[in-house]
Amino acid sequence: MFSAALMRQTIRENAALWTVLTAVQCLMIATIGWTAPIAAAGVAYYNMLPGIFAGIYAITIGNRLICAKVDRGTLAYVLSTPVGRRAVVGVQTSFFIGSLAAMYALTAAVHSVAAVLSSYGADASQVQAIVKLNLGLFLLALAFSGICFAASCWFNLSKHTIAIGGGLVCAFLLFPIIAMFGNNFAFLRHLTIVTLYDVSDIMAGAAGWGWPLAALAAIAAAAYAAGAVVFLRKDLPL
Amino acid sequence: MDHTIEISGLTKDYGDSRGLFDVDLTVEPGQVFGLVGINGSGKSTMIRHLMGFLHPQSGRCSIQGMDCWRRAAELKRSIGYVPGEIAFPDVKTGFDFFNLQAGYFGKRDQSRLHDLIDRFRLDASAPLKRMSKGMKQKTAIVAAFMTTAPILILDEGTTGLDPLMQKVFTDLVREEKANGRTMFMSSHMFDELEASCDRVAFLKRGRVIEVVDMSQFNGDEPVKEYKIEFNQPQDYLAFLSRPFSVSRRQEHLNQVSVQVADLAVADLFAALADLDVRFITQVPRTLARHFIQKYYETEGHPHV
Repeated sequence: MFSAALMRQTIRENAALWTVLTAVQCLMIATIGWTAPIAAAGVAYYNMLPGIFAGIYAITIGNRLICAKVDRGTLAYVLSTPVGRRAVVGVQTSFFIGSLAAMYALTAAVHSVAAVLSSYGADASQVQAIVKLNLGLFLLALAFSGICFAASCWFNLSKHTIAIGGGLVCAFLLFPIIAMFGNNFAFLRHLTIVTLYDVSDIMAGAAGWGWPLAALAAIAAAAYAAGAVVFLRKDLPL
Repeated sequence: MDHTIEISGLTKDYGDSRGLFDVDLTVEPGQVFGLVGINGSGKSTMIRHLMGFLHPQSGRCSIQGMDCWRRAAELKRSIGYVPGEIAFPDVKTGFDFFNLQAGYFGKRDQSRLHDLIDRFRLDASAPLKRMSKGMKQKTAIVAAFMTTAPILILDEGTTGLDPLMQKVFTDLVREEKANGRTMFMSSHMFDELEASCDRVAFLKRGRVIEVVDMSQFNGDEPVKEYKIEFNQPQDYLAFLSRPFSVSRRQEHLNQVSVQVADLAVADLFAALADLDVRFITQVPRTLARHFIQKYYETEGHPHV
């Protein structure tokens, strides 16, 4: 069910993008955390950028984990060994989820440390807000990754996976921005999962702030499960 | 249950007579089995079913009694494989690739590897991306044979090999056969499998047209074909009046081809004794000729 060799190979193939995206986010969040309290600059940052980074990571890695291997035919060399489809799905899913968890655990830690050591000296409640914001981000990224993973399992060609999985994630990211252009577009806020990650509610600790995040987790779980079922049953053109 | 590979009623209809239709085949332990057919006849589709990449529409295929679809992962402990389209994983060199594959098998014993690399004169330290077609093919063959799997499945395994390497490959197949390994290999070159196979199946438009025993070919056949040319037309005509089974005549050359059973070969020489023969030669019955003939026969217009 699990293959350490495949996990090592997956990490090798995808470490570069993870490192670059994590490093850039850590650098930015460290600078922001160092210069201003979370309530000031942090909100703007968490509202704007990390979603885009999560989108880039989910679309690129999602395609690579399954579909690109089918499209290029390299999966034949994995499946011609005792590493079966279940192990492939298991390893790739663990990597995807694990790498996202590590990414946001790291950004949360870097932001917290920068904020605590800064001249304004963040207190425990601020650190808690930082952790919650990153937890929310993780769940948003997890939902994105689930959608891209499902597309990757469904399609045999990378261009289709990127068009559908990537297209959906891009649309989700763009809708809240387009919604800001006027009342005519306000309805778009209801057509995206990005609004489930509500930075101000999380910051304020509003009642029921956790529910939208639970919804993101549920979307992720459903998407991963659907992808796995499809991949285990479909014909592979290898 | 005793068959190493068993395919029964296997059907996969892709429309336009593409795919496989009600295929039945068995491969016995230790046998080298060939699958021949023109491009698009369904060879790769059959192999993809054996590898568990495709799910049969109806029918089933099993290896060592285990279903190829349901127990695909488990079966791979017993199978070495050369894919029809070689796409190496994202690693740098041939050695990195061999290590990765050995890792998937959970084995570190690579004693066979260096022997195979030497035989095929492979530079396994070369970057995979810069390898020529032949080099890639050799790398794929080495990866399949380095395992200790008792069964080898080779989809167009020798494509792109030069004649010297083809020979190395054929020798290797004979050796592995002697070691008791079972091999299932496909080719679109009708005569490529002649040297190594015990039995060969001919696939056309997804159906098995014929399965031949290779002992019936290459000089071992009990009825042989002889081509005889005469110096004089009257001798040519005189010979034609004798009771031989004539398969071909070319009057302008005074040439005739006859089918003669080994037991009746003395009759042939007796008949030729008082005729002016320019030459006589045996025409070996090759797999390629046989299948080409078979192909056109099933098309409805015989061709010699």
